[in-house]
Amino acid sequence: MIHVYGVVDGLDEVPPIAGVEDAPLERRRVAGLDLVLSRSATPPSAEVSRETVLRHAQVVEALTRRSAAILPAQLGRGFRDEDQLASAVAEQAAQLERGLERVRGCVEFGLRATTELPPAPEADTGSAYMQARLDQVRLQDDLVERLHEPLARLARETTLQRRGGGVTAAYLVERDEVPAFEAEAARLEHADGVTVVCTGPWPPYSFAAGTP
Amino acid sequence: MSNDSLQYQVTLLDLVDRVLGKGVVLSGDITLSVADVDLVYVGLRVLLSSVATLEELDSGAASA
Repeated sequence: MIHVYGVVDGLDEVPPIAGVEDAPLERRRVAGLDLVLSRSATPPSAEVSRETVLRHAQVVEALTRRSAAILPAQLGRGFRDEDQLASAVAEQAAQLERGLERVRGCVEFGLRATTELPPAPEADTGSAYMQARLDQVRLQDDLVERLHEPLARLARETTLQRRGGGVTAAYLVERDEVPAFEAEAARLEHADGVTVVCTGPWPPYSFAAGTP
Repeated sequence: MSNDSLQYQVTLLDLVDRVLGKGVVLSGDITLSVADVDLVYVGLRVLLSSVATLEELDSGAASA
C-alpha cells in the first residue's frame, strides 16, 4: 500500500525522518508533479492510530518547511501500486497545479472562538425557538466582526463556520504577513467574555481541497 | 483550566481535524471509513476535557 503525504513544489530535499509505520520517505515525479510517499507491506489496520495521525502530520509539517508550495494529502486514502497512483494523479493534475499556485508561499492559521453563554434552552414554542436562533446568530455576527474580520484582512483566503455560540475559521496567510497576523491574533485573544484560541502556523490543509 | 492547557488541547483538536478532514483527496482506495474517523474523535474525548473544545467535537471531521 502506498501512503501519500502531499504534492509539493520546490522541495529542497526529502526530510530525514521516517513515515507512517517507520517506512522511509520517497519522492516520486508523477504526471509532472512532485509527490512524497512511503510504502507499507501490510494493508492498513482497521483502526487509525494516534501514532499514524501524528506521523502523517509530522511529515507534512517537515515538507512544508522545505517547500515553496504544498498540498497536504488527506489521511485515509491509499494506493495499491504505482500504476493506480499515476492514473489518479494524472486525472487530477491540472487541478493540483492550480492548487499549488493557490497556496504558494502561504501557511495556515486556525481560530476557534466560543462564548461562555450557556447553549440555548430547549425551546418549546416557535417564537421561543426563533428568538433563541436570533440570539445565536447575533452572537456569531459579533464574533465575526470583532475577531474574524481583523484577521481576514491579513489573509489571502479564509474559511468560516458558525456553530452554536461560536465560530471556527481558517486563514491562508503569506509568510511575510505571519508576524503581523500573529500580533493581531495575540491582541484578539484577550477579548472580553469570549474564549479565543488561535493555532498555527499549519500546512495549508484547509485550502488544499478543490480550487475555486 | 489554564490558557496553556486550553491552547494545547485546541491545537491537538485542530491537528486531528486537519489531518483527517482537510487536505487534498487523491482518488485512491479508501483506507479509513467514517466509523474509523469517529473512533479517533471518541478517543480524543478522553484527552480533551475543555468544555469549549468538547462541544465542537460533535461537528469535527464530518463537517469538513
